[in-house]
Amino acid sequence: MKLIKDKVAKLSFVALLVSVTAAMFYTPTASAHGEKSQAAFMRMRTIHWFDLNWSKDELTVNDTMTISGKFHVFAGWPETVDKPEISFLNIGIPGPVFIRAGSWIGGQLVPRSVTLELGETYEFKVLLKARRPGDWHVHTMMNVKGGGPIIGPGKWVTISGSMANFKNPITTLTGETIDLETYNLSNTYFWHTFWYALGIAWVAYWARKPMFIPRIIAVDSGKADSLISATDRKVALAFAAGSIAIVAMSMSSTNEQYPVTTPLQAGLLRGMKPLEMPAPTVSVKVEDATYRVPGRAMQMTLTVTNNGDAPIRLGEFNTAGVRFLDAAVSKDESGYPDDLLAEEGLTVSDNSALAPGQSRTIQVTASDAAWEVYRLADLIYDPDSRFAGLLFFYDDAGGRQMVMVDAPLIPSFI
Amino acid sequence: MSASQSAVRSRAEAVKVSRTFDWLILFTLFFVILGGYHVHFMLTGGDWDFWTDWKDRRLWVTVLPIVGITFPAAVQSVLWWRYRLPFGAVVAVLGLLFGEWVNRYFNFWGWTYFPVNFVFPSNFMPGAIVLDVILMLSNSMQLTAVLGGLGYGLLFYPGNWPIIAPLHVPVEYNGMMMTLADLQGYHYVRTGTPEYIRMVEKGTLRTFGKDVAPVSAFFSGFVSIIIYFLWHFFGKWFGSTAFTQST
Ligand SMILES: [Cu+2]
Repeated sequence: MKLIKDKVAKLSFVALLVSVTAAMFYTPTASAHGEKSQAAFMRMRTIHWFDLNWSKDELTVNDTMTISGKFHVFAGWPETVDKPEISFLNIGIPGPVFIRAGSWIGGQLVPRSVTLELGETYEFKVLLKARRPGDWHVHTMMNVKGGGPIIGPGKWVTISGSMANFKNPITTLTGETIDLETYNLSNTYFWHTFWYALGIAWVAYWARKPMFIPRIIAVDSGKADSLISATDRKVALAFAAGSIAIVAMSMSSTNEQYPVTTPLQAGLLRGMKPLEMPAPTVSVKVEDATYRVPGRAMQMTLTVTNNGDAPIRLGEFNTAGVRFLDAAVSKDESGYPDDLLAEEGLTVSDNSALAPGQSRTIQVTASDAAWEVYRLADLIYDPDSRFAGLLFFYDDAGGRQMVMVDAPLIPSFI
Repeated sequence: MSASQSAVRSRAEAVKVSRTFDWLILFTLFFVILGGYHVHFMLTGGDWDFWTDWKDRRLWVTVLPIVGITFPAAVQSVLWWRYRLPFGAVVAVLGLLFGEWVNRYFNFWGWTYFPVNFVFPSNFMPGAIVLDVILMLSNSMQLTAVLGGLGYGLLFYPGNWPIIAPLHVPVEYNGMMMTLADLQGYHYVRTGTPEYIRMVEKGTLRTFGKDVAPVSAFFSGFVSIIIYFLWHFFGKWFGSTAFTQST
């Protein structure tokens, strides 16, 4: 007897462990640190984030900050990723450490998914309100249906204070102001406790009497009907009728209390307004491009033609959020994340001003540890080994022109 | 154990042992059902149950009773036909809700800090009680499937409405109208659950105007009938003792 008892006890604990580990440990994605493991071509040839600005890097709970900037939807979107016809401007943070108080593309609020056009550039802004203290890596992010999340550059932001002080007041259209952080919580607990207790009461009613062994013996010997008494039937009827009555009553009292409710809102926003970008007057032809593995440097031979009316110089190469600058031409003043910024990472064989109407072939080298750190060099192992990026040319008056480059990349191992 | 020697020496002892067995079996049953039902439910119901901004009047109402009647039907068939115990559906739902609450409270809230008022589970208890009572009073699987299955589908939305209605109050937010539940989904950032995978208000029941919830509930009830039959047989098959030796 002891043996069987032990066995059953042991088995129940195994069952308990299995079930507990199986389902109860499920947690929604809490990490937003996929940036480095995302295939390099995904980051280089889909959404190009630039002119990014994180308005703060330190704030206390309830403070707000914005991430603003632009993104260019690459015209040479890879065949292996679905086109951004249904996309959602998200934010890459580890769970709701901030709340997203607002997000806009081209001035339009985008709580919905949007359609983006290839080759266009959009302005965006995300307003965040600090909720949970800690150091968080805050990334720009675009989810593309069929393409997955496309993670942009991230910057460390520190939130101090206490989450207990976090407030999220909202005024409804019925004129009530509520705190969304705790709203409806006691009502939820009340009803769940109520129904759970009723369920336990029903099981307890039957568990008062002997359950398994005597009952199976009775059933097996043909005396099943004797197991349910007239009282049992009355109690059962009361449970069922009571449950239905409570559902009906609680439903109608809820409707009285909340006469105005609307269905959940969903939909796709088409026709997002892109940024009006004047056609660049600089044209660039990529003659060849190689990635030198030992030197962690990408070398491009470019033929640049200036069709405009002001002399220009190359100031920046930006790919996958990594910015290679020629310090003599352009400097970062936005507090861009250090690990993504190569302040002197761009070397140009001849970067003297290119006069209007002139053309010149130059050697451009973009070198920085970021190639390795951000695993961009893995591009050479991608199924479609092309690179893409943004070139920024500057004139003396502070004007800037953006030119896309897109070309095959040949690795060099010596 | 040898067959020639009884393990108990008196009737009192037999009763005591039988009672111990009762609790051990009920305890084991609870957690085994919990595990199986919870995993099944997470894979089939998933996001519909995780987030308030998925609890719409169309797909949530349709999908959850259908995937939720499975284990109650199977457990009922074992407990009723073999033991005449009429709490199969309720014990299954108690297990599911227990697992879900542990998961939502400790993981969604305790670990990832999603507010509980955004991630609480759906309530299945009214339907489960009615399902158990119908089987007990009718002693008929067919009647339980038809009446109980339909009831299970129909009671789901009204049984949850007192909990979710407050979240369907509209707000105006930066020039757009949304419900508080929509706003929860927008505020509390989910990197892995973008807006476009939210399956709400999709479907073809457009001709019924704004009364989609009752229509969805009826449809759900009809499918629940079929699923009930199916899982009742699964339960019978699992509960079969043909492969153990009788003494
Ligand atoms: Cu990160």
